[in-house]
Amino acid sequence: MPETTADGHSGGMTSTILSARSLSKRYGASIALNNVDVDIAAGESVAIMGSSGSGKTTLLHTLAGITAPDAGTVHYAGTEVTALNETQRSKLRREAFGFVFQSGLLIPELTAIENVALALMLNGVPRREAEPQAAGWLSHLGLAGMEDRRIGELSGGQAQRVAIARAQVTGAGIVFADEPTGALDSHTSAEVMGALLGATAGRGRTLVLVTHDPTVAALCSRTLYMHDGVLSLSPSAPPAPTQLIPGASGQYAVPSPGMAAHPSAGQFAAGQFTSGQPISGQNWAEQP
Amino acid sequence: MNKFKSMVSILWMLSRPTPGSKAVVALPVVAFALVTALSLIVLAGAMSFFTTPVIDANPDLAGTYQMLAGVALALMVLPLLTLGGSAARLSARRRDERLSTLRLLGGTPALVGAMTVVESTAVAAGGICAGVVLYAAALPAVALISFQGKALGLAALWLNPLLVLATAAALMILAAISATIGLRQVVLSPLGVRTRAKAPTVHWVRFALGAGAAVVLYVLMANLTASGSLAVMIIILCGSFAGGMALLNLVGPFVLKWLAGRGLRKAQTPARLLAARTILESPKAAWRQVSSLSMTSFIAVIAGTGLALLNATAPEGGNAADINLATDMRTGVLITVVASFLLVASSAGVNQAAAILDRSGLYVSLDRLGMPRSVMEAARRRAVMSPVRIVTIGSAAVAAILLFPLTGAAMIFAPLSLVVIACVLASGIALVWLGLAASKPVLDSVLAR
Repeated sequence: MPETTADGHSGGMTSTILSARSLSKRYGASIALNNVDVDIAAGESVAIMGSSGSGKTTLLHTLAGITAPDAGTVHYAGTEVTALNETQRSKLRREAFGFVFQSGLLIPELTAIENVALALMLNGVPRREAEPQAAGWLSHLGLAGMEDRRIGELSGGQAQRVAIARAQVTGAGIVFADEPTGALDSHTSAEVMGALLGATAGRGRTLVLVTHDPTVAALCSRTLYMHDGVLSLSPSAPPAPTQLIPGASGQYAVPSPGMAAHPSAGQFAAGQFTSGQPISGQNWAEQP
Repeated sequence: MNKFKSMVSILWMLSRPTPGSKAVVALPVVAFALVTALSLIVLAGAMSFFTTPVIDANPDLAGTYQMLAGVALALMVLPLLTLGGSAARLSARRRDERLSTLRLLGGTPALVGAMTVVESTAVAAGGICAGVVLYAAALPAVALISFQGKALGLAALWLNPLLVLATAAALMILAAISATIGLRQVVLSPLGVRTRAKAPTVHWVRFALGAGAAVVLYVLMANLTASGSLAVMIIILCGSFAGGMALLNLVGPFVLKWLAGRGLRKAQTPARLLAARTILESPKAAWRQVSSLSMTSFIAVIAGTGLALLNATAPEGGNAADINLATDMRTGVLITVVASFLLVASSAGVNQAAAILDRSGLYVSLDRLGMPRSVMEAARRRAVMSPVRIVTIGSAAVAAILLFPLTGAAMIFAPLSLVVIACVLASGIALVWLGLAASKPVLDSVLAR
């Protein structure tokens, strides 16, 4: 019988692409993650909500291999992320993950197309091949004709779309977004969310997003809530953490959303989709 | 008064060092210590030629020595100012964020301004005191340098305390002025937002003007080198030096921009792309950081060539004082070259450390995206080292071409001297590389946060 976890996802389903077990992380006296279990299916868009200091960003960083947990494991497509060293995790992030941060954090000296192409060049793609692919993504996200603009010459929403293109140009199977609309007005925020969802879940890829905005979370297929380092399905604070020891977690289970069959990581090359390599075939621990 | 008190206590709260910010706190102090120590050593070296023992030893040549010391000191002013400016900007810059906070909390522009100037100057003062100690500690080594066949000796190198105080005061004023200028933006806009929409441009007219000046200089030089006397030789050297410097400063930013533009088009790796864009972001700033090297490289070739020829053509058994003078001029040139490379290495280190701190958010996010640290390092290194190489080699080439009759003769009569010049310049480039490497721990500490 498949195990059901606190995040409402039936762990036994074959389409799980990202899975965490018993994650714990402390910063001094404060507990950022308290025994967190979570499963995320390929093609899902998952919003993680919570107040400031609830541990939602720590959870995102731990799932993405940016932060190492004190205890617990994270598996991505058959690879144990938590067993990799810093260099291997860096390679995994570069090759398999995409990131969108609150303020984009694009390189101001570079043009839009160079910012996007850089992600491919870091993976060894020659610039002459990287730039046409970058241009394809920029055009797809409505930025045709703005390829040679520097980041300072773009609006906040346009810069975020450049960041989305950068996160997707490598064909990343999963995108981690930390408050991607946090610095935008509501209208631009809706546009950027539309672009982000279209570029990820809309193409069978996975999106994990941290937000404090319920409107943004409502656009995702599933919403999880963090309260003092504990993950739950309820927007209100859960009972004391002692009741959330392993085995008791099923009490928060709700029917998992319908999950599409694993569409694999489609690869977007020169403006076209081609069938990607099976992700589980990758082994990031092989090469440092 | 109460408001002033509360502002002071807020400022105190905001200035307390936090764990992990040691590099941020220590940097301006280290930078000012370096500027002070190097300024004092250079000044002491030049002043030693004005002390009685040196004058008494050789009254006939005292004037010549003093003039040459004056030239060497003048050569050091620009690199010292560059380093001083970097140190002051660094000390003022790390205050921006906290002062924006203070301004948002309701501090008046005058109060915020006064506090910044006081705080930046206090940090500078700490560094300056450390610099004076460093100067005193370095003197025994400097005292070993020999002129007129004798080591300089400690006695000749101790500066008058009043002169030390005056140097310290001048550096503090520099810090205060730089803080005031740096602060204007914060006071004008509490949010202190910096927008960098368009890269500044460098006009080709610079290049045209520079090319015209080069032709005039070349004709002048070609006609003047016919004379053989020392006095005319010095006039030639000074004339070509002044003209050449003007030429290099006119053309420098344009050449850097042009070469970086070519580099950008050809760049296939992330590091090359980033480095080329960093230079193109402000070719004038890139030039400013290394411009004093153009002077160094220029003087190394001109003086090196002239001295080599003097040595090669000097009659056997010449006057001991003349031989000493030639040897001493060589020592002087060597010291000047090494000192200015040291100054550029220090400013490169300080500027890079400041740049990393300024853009810590960007570096952290690039690290999260999976950009290898080696790529960040390579981009940083290339953005500084490629202008250093261009400037050093380019200026040496300009000097060699301007003085072609002399360099040509040196190639025939004293080929080894040209090898020595090349080695000195190569060591100088290596020194700047070390200065850059010294800023690596700052990147590590930013990424570890």
